[in-house]
Amino acid sequence: MAAQHGMVDPAIFQDLQARIDADAAVRDELKDLIQALEKHNRNISFVLSRAHSTPVSDLSSVLNAAQEHIESAVGTVSTLSDKASKVPYYKFNSMWSRQVQTTTYGILLWGWLGGTGEGSGAKTGRLLTIEEVGDKLKIPVNLKDRDAFHLTIEEYLLALTELIDELSRLARNAVTLGDYERPLAINQFIKDVHAGFQVLNLKNDILRRKSDGLKYRVKEVEDVVYDLSLRNLIPKKTMA
Amino acid sequence: MADTGPEQASSPYMAMFEGFRQELDEHHDRRERIIKASRDITAASKKIIFTLQRVRTLGASIPPFAVKSNTPYWEIIEKQYKSIAADLQGINAFRYERQITGGNQEFIESLTFQHYLESQTLITYDDAKARVARLSGEGGAVSLSPEDYILGVFDMIGEVMRFSITAMATNGKVPTGKQTKAAGPPSKEEESEQPADKMDIDEPPFVPSEKLQPRSVLDDLREIRLQLEMFNPPKSKFGDDVEKKMVVMQQCVDKVEKALYSLTVRGSERPKGWVPDVQEDRRSAVESY
Repeated sequence: MAAQHGMVDPAIFQDLQARIDADAAVRDELKDLIQALEKHNRNISFVLSRAHSTPVSDLSSVLNAAQEHIESAVGTVSTLSDKASKVPYYKFNSMWSRQVQTTTYGILLWGWLGGTGEGSGAKTGRLLTIEEVGDKLKIPVNLKDRDAFHLTIEEYLLALTELIDELSRLARNAVTLGDYERPLAINQFIKDVHAGFQVLNLKNDILRRKSDGLKYRVKEVEDVVYDLSLRNLIPKKTMA
Repeated sequence: MADTGPEQASSPYMAMFEGFRQELDEHHDRRERIIKASRDITAASKKIIFTLQRVRTLGASIPPFAVKSNTPYWEIIEKQYKSIAADLQGINAFRYERQITGGNQEFIESLTFQHYLESQTLITYDDAKARVARLSGEGGAVSLSPEDYILGVFDMIGEVMRFSITAMATNGKVPTGKQTKAAGPPSKEEESEQPADKMDIDEPPFVPSEKLQPRSVLDDLREIRLQLEMFNPPKSKFGDDVEKKMVVMQQCVDKVEKALYSLTVRGSERPKGWVPDVQEDRRSAVESY
C-alpha cells in the first residue's frame, strides 16, 4: 500500500481538509447569530424612523420602544462575542462587521435623540463616544492587546457617517413638523463631526468614500437653515 | 493635515478624532509595510522559480549554480518576513491576510517546487508553516494559512509541468527520480484512505506492483492531481480560487501526458532535437502562466 503514495503523504490533505471544514463549521454557527442581529437591527431602525414624524415632545415613547429592540440586539451581540472570541477576531470579523456597524448606528441615533436621558428631560444632540457604545453593547472597543471580539474604530466611524445621513433627513422633516430649532442643532452637530473627519488621514477605502460624502450632508442642512433664516423662522435665542 | 482651522478647533469632537487618527495611521502604516513586503517576497520567489527551471535533475540536491544564484533571493525573503513579523502578531495575525496572501502563496510555490526537485515529495503543510515561522525570526511567526498553502501547491504544479516539458524536450524522456516507490513517506501510509484511487487513472499496470520502479514526474503529477481533486473547498473566495486553479492544474497535467504521448508515438522517428509538438505545448504553457 505504501507504493500508492509516493509523492504526497495523504495525511497532508486530510489535515488541511479538517482545518478548512472546522472553519466552515465556525462560520455556520456565527451565521445564525448574525442573521438574528440583522433582524434586531431592522426592528431598531423601523422604530427609530418614527422620529421623522414625531414631535420632540412625544419622542420618549419612540425611544423606549427602540430601547427594547436595542436590548435584544445587545443580547445577540453578547452571544456573538462569546462565540467569536474563541476564534481569531480578524479571521471572521468581515462576517459580522456590517451588522455590528448597523447596531452601532442604531445606538448612536437613539442616543442622539435623547435615548440615554431619563424621562422628558432627555438630552438631545449628544454623540455617544465609542466607549459609551461599547458599554451599551457590553463589548470592549478598539482592542489591541488581546484577541477577542470588540467594536472597531472603523465600525464606529462608519456608523457615525450613517447617523449624519439620517440627521440631514431629520433636519428637513423637523421643519415639516414645525420644529425650527432642531435643524440648527443638527447643523452645528454635522459641522462638528465633519470637522472631526477632516483630521483623519484616510486611505482609499469605504471610510474615505463615506467621509467624502459628509460635505454634501453639511450643505443640505445648511440649505435648510438658510431657508429658515430667509423667512425669519429661526428662533431668537439660538440666533444669539 | 493636522492643522485645524478656527472652525475645526471649536469642534467638541476634535480630541476624539485625533485619537482615531493616530490609531488609523498606525493601522495604515502596518498595512503599507505588509503590502510592500508581500510584493518583495513575491518577486524574490518568482526569481527563485526561474532559476529552478534551469535545473535538470530530480530527487537530487539543487546544483551549486542554482543555490548560488538563489541565495540572495532567499535572503530577501527572510529579510521581508522578519520586517513584518511584529506587525502580524496577536490580534493582528489575520488582520492583514489579504495583504500578505500574495507573498505567502508565491513563497509556497517556490518552496514546494524546490522541495519537490530535491526530494520528489510534497513538503507538508506543517513543515512549510515551520519554514515561514523560522524565516520570521525572533519577532514571532508570520502565520501561513492552509488556504495559502493549498493555492501555492496548485501553482507549483504549473512549475513541475514546465520542468517536465523542458526536460522532455532536452533529454527526450520524462524526468524520473532515483526514488523508488517503496521509499515514500514512512508509517502513515497504513491508514491511507482509498487505496483504490490510483485505479481510477490510467496508470501503466506495472507500476503499482513494481516497488523498485523509480517514480516519474508524471506519476507524481497524477498523484497530486488526485489529492487536489478530492479536496473539498468551502463556498468562499478561497473556494472560487480553488475552482479556477483546479482547471489550470488539470490542464498542466494533461500537457505532460500529451507531451509524453507524442514522445512515445513519434519519439523513435524524430531526429535528435526535433520536437514540434512539445515546443508548441511549451509555449502555450508559458502563456497560461
